[in-house]
Amino acid sequence: MKVTFKIWRQENRNTKGAIKEYKVDGLTEDMSFLEALDHLNELLVLKNEKVIAYEYDCREGICGQCGVFINGRAHGPHDNITTCQLHMRSFKDGDTIVVEPWRAASFPVLKDLIVDRSAFDRIMEQGGYITAKTGTAPEANAILIPKEVSDSAMDVAACIGCGACVATCKNASAALFASAKINHLNNLPQGHPEAHKRVQEMTYQMELEGFGSCSFTGACEVECPEGISITNIAEMYAKYTKAKLFG
Amino acid sequence: MKLDSKIPEGRLEDKWRNYQIKAQLINPANKKKLNVIVVGSGLSGAGAAATLAELGYDVQCFCYQDSARRAHSVAAQGGINAAKNYQHDGDSVWRMFYDTLKGGDFRSREANTYRLAELSAPLIDHFVQQGVPFAREYGGVLVNRSFGGVQVQRTFYARGQTGQQLLLAAYSQLYKMIRAKKVKMFPRSEMIDLVVIDGKAKGIIVRDLVTGELKRYVADAIVLATGGYSRVFRLSTLAIGCNGSAIWKAHKRGAFFAAPSFTQIHPTALPQTSEAQSKLTLMSESLRNDGRIWVPKKKEDIRKANDIPEKERDYYLERRYPSFGNLAPRDIASRAAKERIDAGYGVGRLKNAVYLDFRHAIDKLGIQTIKDRYENLFGMYKKITGIDAYKEPMQISPAAHFSMGGLWVDYELMTTIPGLYAVGECNFSDHGANRLGANSLLQASIDGYFILPNTINNYLAGALEEDIPTTDHIEFEKAEKEVRVIIDRVLNINGTKTVDHFHRELGKVMWQECAMSRNKKGLEKAILQIKTLKDEFWSDVKVTGSGNELNTELEKALRLADFMEMGILMCTDALEREESCGAHFREEFQTEDGEAVRVDENYSYVSAWEYDEGDFKLHKEELEFEFVQPSVRSYK
Amino acid sequence: MAVNKLFFRKTIIAGTGLFLCLFLIVHLSANWILLLPEETARELYNSYATTLRENLFIKSISYILYAFIVLHVIYALLITIHNRKAKPQKYVVNHFLQNSTWTSQNMGLIGTMILLFIVVHLANFWVRVKLGMGEIIELDAIGNLDVYEVTFSLFHNIYYVIFYTILMIPLGLHLNHGLKSAFKTLGFYHKKGLRISAKVSLIYAVIISIGFGVIPFFVYLK
Repeated sequence: MKVTFKIWRQENRNTKGAIKEYKVDGLTEDMSFLEALDHLNELLVLKNEKVIAYEYDCREGICGQCGVFINGRAHGPHDNITTCQLHMRSFKDGDTIVVEPWRAASFPVLKDLIVDRSAFDRIMEQGGYITAKTGTAPEANAILIPKEVSDSAMDVAACIGCGACVATCKNASAALFASAKINHLNNLPQGHPEAHKRVQEMTYQMELEGFGSCSFTGACEVECPEGISITNIAEMYAKYTKAKLFG
Repeated sequence: MKLDSKIPEGRLEDKWRNYQIKAQLINPANKKKLNVIVVGSGLSGAGAAATLAELGYDVQCFCYQDSARRAHSVAAQGGINAAKNYQHDGDSVWRMFYDTLKGGDFRSREANTYRLAELSAPLIDHFVQQGVPFAREYGGVLVNRSFGGVQVQRTFYARGQTGQQLLLAAYSQLYKMIRAKKVKMFPRSEMIDLVVIDGKAKGIIVRDLVTGELKRYVADAIVLATGGYSRVFRLSTLAIGCNGSAIWKAHKRGAFFAAPSFTQIHPTALPQTSEAQSKLTLMSESLRNDGRIWVPKKKEDIRKANDIPEKERDYYLERRYPSFGNLAPRDIASRAAKERIDAGYGVGRLKNAVYLDFRHAIDKLGIQTIKDRYENLFGMYKKITGIDAYKEPMQISPAAHFSMGGLWVDYELMTTIPGLYAVGECNFSDHGANRLGANSLLQASIDGYFILPNTINNYLAGALEEDIPTTDHIEFEKAEKEVRVIIDRVLNINGTKTVDHFHRELGKVMWQECAMSRNKKGLEKAILQIKTLKDEFWSDVKVTGSGNELNTELEKALRLADFMEMGILMCTDALEREESCGAHFREEFQTEDGEAVRVDENYSYVSAWEYDEGDFKLHKEELEFEFVQPSVRSYK
Repeated sequence: MAVNKLFFRKTIIAGTGLFLCLFLIVHLSANWILLLPEETARELYNSYATTLRENLFIKSISYILYAFIVLHVIYALLITIHNRKAKPQKYVVNHFLQNSTWTSQNMGLIGTMILLFIVVHLANFWVRVKLGMGEIIELDAIGNLDVYEVTFSLFHNIYYVIFYTILMIPLGLHLNHGLKSAFKTLGFYHKKGLRISAKVSLIYAVIISIGFGVIPFFVYLK
């Protein structure tokens, strides 16, 4: 299988980047997209060129480290997957594949396809936790949590923090990410005591980081590898209003 | 040097309490003056960093990923064990201890293993309080399922993403303490060397992966929480970035490496499909609760799985191990699969897989129940293979997974270098020669949250009186210079082969000779092969780019250089241990029907290797079984 | 803690938008008078228009209406500027139609078209009827200003007919996305409810846009 990659190359965050073209042969349909890039990098090394920098770690769709914009879609042409779960069988022989880094003011490019997503960590820092020191927990079954509550918390807790929601959003909004964490913790009884504080502080940090606002295009829930629903954003708005009124 | 495991006095049940009673305390005002470096931000690293910070220590935490939330604990799927006995099925701390000890084929310390079981129950309380959405019954109580090597249901889980949920809980606690300014986090920072001053661990050299800058950090104690080293096989279930460099550098600076050859091959991963493959994806062992493993009875059967009638299927685990069946421990299940595949009964395009079939479970429990339990695993399977496992069986195959071996630690989790601790998968402590499913998250968490924060005082109390060296100390100078020399050397070879080429070659040798079954001849050959490969690497590898920039190729090269040396030690250890135990299966030591033969009279010890100028010197920590009589490990 | 700017602006847009949606219902139901036969329509329509101008309550509501339109536009502008800043660099290739609708991605553009419509619409009617500018409007038989005649003559110009009709398309699109999103922005997150609200928004948008859109044609054919 033979494809033409058009890949964003950029030395570091202070330099300008540009798309560069690479023709790659010898790929197979079984290869994952990242393995195809690995293959390209080996060819580049042998040609005495610098390798393309891109991120990955677990390569099974859970760590959230990989993520690039492939042919006009976050994580590539399929819905609800990560870049590492994309395989070359999704492309045709002779295809041109355009690969770009996530684009958002809050996600500056560090090199080539690697962006800095530490803004997410800073949002988490502002209350994306339950204040409970090690050693202070009551018996696990002492607080009953109905299955529906636990299940819906799990639905959003599944967020892998890859940033596809921000990448695909025309406004670079981090609303889906923030709402996932807020709803996970605020809906559990353990998270109730800090609920009002949490939703205000985390969303405030989201604003400080320079993310845009949500237009409910719904693109994020289509690209989210965990399929987290945008109704969570609405739920976050409700929690925010409640916190402002009664918090 | 005599290895002192520092096991406390008393009955098994009292040892941890006795230890805590006698351990030194440090008053809060003094804790503020002490600082600890934690390398790694996984379950054990983040747990340790957050808890140490809560106690009042100043903590600096490092990870090579872009965020602490990426650490590979995130990928553990199936669950975490705890002796809660919520299911009323006869579980207890003692039974869990015994299962773990037996699962490890009696190659771990009784006291450590007992402590693991003992602390498991409060750990579940802890995680529930931190907001982990464990699976629940309609009535609101926690649910359990069973895992390999066990006849009770003691595994807690959050769908097939338990590791992710636990890690995110630990990560959130870490960030809570970052906000409190008690932890300073350094992502995209890789530890490149350890600095030992006057025999004590005092600092690390770190490479900033964005700028390439080498930086020095000093502390009163260093905690390594850097995970497993199974990427030595290249194809494994581990993350691509997982590496053994931190512990290897510590080993070269004097920390003993225990049982390096004890590496677990997981029975239920997705089979390899091509040479270019970089990773074998794990399918959780929990699937074996409801899935039945089989191969066709006929060799080279080309029919589709669903077309093969029931009586022409060989449910070989149920046949060979009737009492545990599909839930036989991992090493046994892997070896049984290998045996069938090698004998020509493998399925799939490359004939390297076996079937994991859910049809019976779906017929019996209904498709909805199976969906509730494993939906995301089935989804993942479909994403990767394009196959709908609700309709036809999964194809699975063994893959390198966990390293029971690691830095030798005593009961306090301290290595042989004073002030250097190892927690989680990177140490050798509780699992012996084979780890039971769902014990990995447990050990990582307990080490980080509960044990280390209680044992590190004993050392740090002494550190209070000492002067803290500065980063200008000669040892820092020396270590940084050595690192610089290695980096320059790698960059200047300018050979003809890529790093990945060498890694593939290393992986092939290791997988062939030092994985599921090993023999003397093969291991001796492997050592020579790896040595040759290493020489070839240092004369013919090609790494482009420079050291002063984000250079992923250089990162890989440095990690691989350490893996090659580690591979030699692993084979050396496997060669030395002339018995079969747990994951270590020596072909010369088996019964007629292929079961392992353990040789307690000669090998009831933990091998602890000392680095000696490119050579390795063996020390033995004899295992004394005071409370349990080691028996033949049978799952028949 | 300071009010979240992102949320506040969105809330204003949603709130004013919902009000404008209500207004459109009233507006449309009255305008359907124009579909009646001329003899009944003229009188009815003119007296309705007179009531609108003279009733104090309706007059005060109309000021709120103007204010809300202005607020809606200003905050939309502010948000758009902020959002542009949040995403300064666009993708070389972006197949957003595969994950979202064209409408949802272009509410600003569509909104601008509607704004253009409103300006023309106000110039055609409001400026003449309320400000008394332009051609003098005659009185009808009962003595009301003959607004019907203004409409009648305007919609006998085929260019206006086309303009008025075509611009009901962006209006419909804007309403459909705007209405269902307003619910979410105001914190309505009940899943089943949101599915219903999406259907209601669609039906509403279709009725309003077609409802308004057919009027010029009917009048033209009269």
